[in-house]
Amino acid sequence: MTGVGADRSSGSTGSTGEGERADRPSRIADILASVGAPVFYVLSTVGDVFKTFGLAVYYTFRGKKRWDEVINQCYQIGNRSLVFITVVMAFLGMILIFQSGLQVKRITGDFSQMGAVYLPLLIRQFSPIIGALMIATRVGTGIAAEIGSMVVTEQVDALRMNATQPVKYLIVPRFIAGIFMTLVLVVYSTLVSFLAGMLTAHVYFEVPYDTFWDISLVRWADLLIGVTKTLCFGMAIPVVSGQAGLAAFGGSEGVGWATTAAVVNSSLAVIMLDFVVGGVGFMVFPTN
Amino acid sequence: MIRVAHVTKYRGRQAVLKDVSFEIPAGASLALIGPGGCGKTLLTKIIGGLVRPDQGEVWVDGQEITRLSEIELTRVRFKIGMLFQNYALFDFMDVGDNIAFPLRQEGKLDEEEIASQVEAILKEVDLPGIERLQVNELSGGMKRRVTFARAVIRRPPILVYDDPTAGLDPVTSSKIFILLDRLQRQGATTSITISHDLVGLRSICTKWAMLVAGEVVFFGTSEEIERSPTKVVRQFWMGESDEV
Amino acid sequence: MNGVLHRVGSSILSLSREVGGLAVLLGQITVRLFPPHLDGKETWRSFYKVGVKSTPIVVTTALLTGAIMAVQSSAFIEEWGAYGLLGWGAGFSIMREVGPILIGLMFSGRVGANNTAELGTMKVTEQIDALRTLAIDPISYLIMPRFVAMIVMLVLLTVIGDLFALVGAMIFADLMIDVSPQVFWHSLLEMTYLIDFLVGVIKAGFFGFAIALVSCHYGLKVTGGAVGVGRAVNNCVVASAIGIFFLDYLLTPLIDSAWAALFIRYG
Repeated sequence: MTGVGADRSSGSTGSTGEGERADRPSRIADILASVGAPVFYVLSTVGDVFKTFGLAVYYTFRGKKRWDEVINQCYQIGNRSLVFITVVMAFLGMILIFQSGLQVKRITGDFSQMGAVYLPLLIRQFSPIIGALMIATRVGTGIAAEIGSMVVTEQVDALRMNATQPVKYLIVPRFIAGIFMTLVLVVYSTLVSFLAGMLTAHVYFEVPYDTFWDISLVRWADLLIGVTKTLCFGMAIPVVSGQAGLAAFGGSEGVGWATTAAVVNSSLAVIMLDFVVGGVGFMVFPTN
Repeated sequence: MIRVAHVTKYRGRQAVLKDVSFEIPAGASLALIGPGGCGKTLLTKIIGGLVRPDQGEVWVDGQEITRLSEIELTRVRFKIGMLFQNYALFDFMDVGDNIAFPLRQEGKLDEEEIASQVEAILKEVDLPGIERLQVNELSGGMKRRVTFARAVIRRPPILVYDDPTAGLDPVTSSKIFILLDRLQRQGATTSITISHDLVGLRSICTKWAMLVAGEVVFFGTSEEIERSPTKVVRQFWMGESDEV
Repeated sequence: MNGVLHRVGSSILSLSREVGGLAVLLGQITVRLFPPHLDGKETWRSFYKVGVKSTPIVVTTALLTGAIMAVQSSAFIEEWGAYGLLGWGAGFSIMREVGPILIGLMFSGRVGANNTAELGTMKVTEQIDALRTLAIDPISYLIMPRFVAMIVMLVLLTVIGDLFALVGAMIFADLMIDVSPQVFWHSLLEMTYLIDFLVGVIKAGFFGFAIALVSCHYGLKVTGGAVGVGRAVNNCVVASAIGIFFLDYLLTPLIDSAWAALFIRYG
């Protein structure tokens, strides 16, 4: 949400010709405008995102839903992200365990608690946020690219001319599928990075598998926070990316902008929500 | 039938439509001409209720539409068949589903009737039996005719064609205009056509409007435009430029 | 069974095509390094654009990330009474891993995706062909400046991001569990080493390189109009993310052991 479109107005396409021109704001009004434009852009984007979210929720509970499209979107999301998520989460698990293993070796040398401490952290923090960032990257850009190209080829106008709400028709199926599949994929991510960590711990630090596989430190609160976060991310990604797609204009350049906006805005949304839900979670369940 | 009064639209600080006013009586067909980027497409989108003007009023079939909500607009839009510049065929559907889409959204007919109507309209645009083809398998001219089929299948009283012959060869273009003429004669429709093909337009249009840089510089009948004293209109009509 | 084999085969083929394309682009760039030639004005503009575009999101991300880390570790710190370790824990993990990875991911979304979109648009609107007909080499004119700008800028942004993340962590440590800034900085400066910082910054340079290579590659081979540009951006961010995590896994132990070797010899 931070100034993705702000520099668009100054026309920064490629490097042909632009920029040589010296834009020196001569009057106060121009200076104010140059400060105001990004602020206005951020505010109006945030407003649009909330409006889209409201409409998406409304149409999720009201009116006929295209269930076959929801199933199709679930398949698309899963199909697109499975390999990607597996690779990323496996590397994440290996990195985290390798790094913390070195520290453990340096300080205490006791590897027995490693898996037990790692699992709740993974459930509450790493798996939801990294998983969601990856889904924002893979699925969010896909949604924005699809909807954005429909906007610039006037397909969305054609939908509206035929009494069809773009949010209801295009975003709601992705919204429902997004919530469900983000949950599924984050659970899967947790599993992948836990197993990758387990393997790393065994190979580098000779931690037995059954010592690492220790769920004793996982509290219900961890699960609750993890699931809450995941559901929030699952709602945010399709809405933010869908809004970015609907806001596209112009030709192929517009689609490029929409996809860029989608990945940046939905990643920022994920990080902000993580902060909010994590903070509230800490207030509600301080320590056991 | 369609009345546009003092419509103004800004993009940033610049006005892209300036105080545009005209009226199209029922059954008339208007040709909307003008150099590229003069706001023709934007004007048709305002008439279809897709874009809201910053000032002015738009009356479609006796109703003022600029202040209607999106839900109220649907009733107005049902009266308008629109053909978009970029085809706007849904690429996630096959040809048959594309054409059937307006009927399905209207929800009045059952599937059997829809199928028979789709079949009939495809015959009418000389593309019989291509329901199950995908959109990207079609040539430009075929896509145009499919978009025609989709725009007119509900037999709307108003038709808007945005550059129906863009990027087509002369033979296909004239076929498109013949088709347009045929559709025009069948029902008593009011239509707006944007095109640069003045010969084609002359064959179907009775009224002319010319926009230059967002302003109406001419509005009148075919005879009037031929004898227009205004320099920009005459140059556009004859295809001349200042340099010669 | 045949279908599965076919799909596996075609995925492997397309994967090798991508890797081959990246290698060719890398080769083209390496060739142009001898002798090094950079369009000064274009490079300067790339620096400006890359930096200006991403500073706000990097700062936002960093502040929030630092805050999240403080909030997350609060429970552990209170449980073990290890208030003095928070500065070290936050500093160590931010500078080594969290900072470079998260900032790298945001950078790839902002700058990498944008670069692909720009180059892709230039490709589909035939601007790149136009450059060629004007006898301007697109690689030296368009790609090299972006390459340099992305590597340098990601390193600088990681330094800035580390700083802001630490500030975020410090503020929230103070707010949530009353760890005063003095305790925080003391523990940070006492217990982290220069190498913890350097590992992150060196990795950021490599991430910048990977993002530049991937985003230019996908941008230059866009075909098929608006849809193609969208698809290219999608592929670019996905490949960048894989590149970041893969390089991170590979580089951390390498840099650590190189540093250790250096110290044994000269230290």
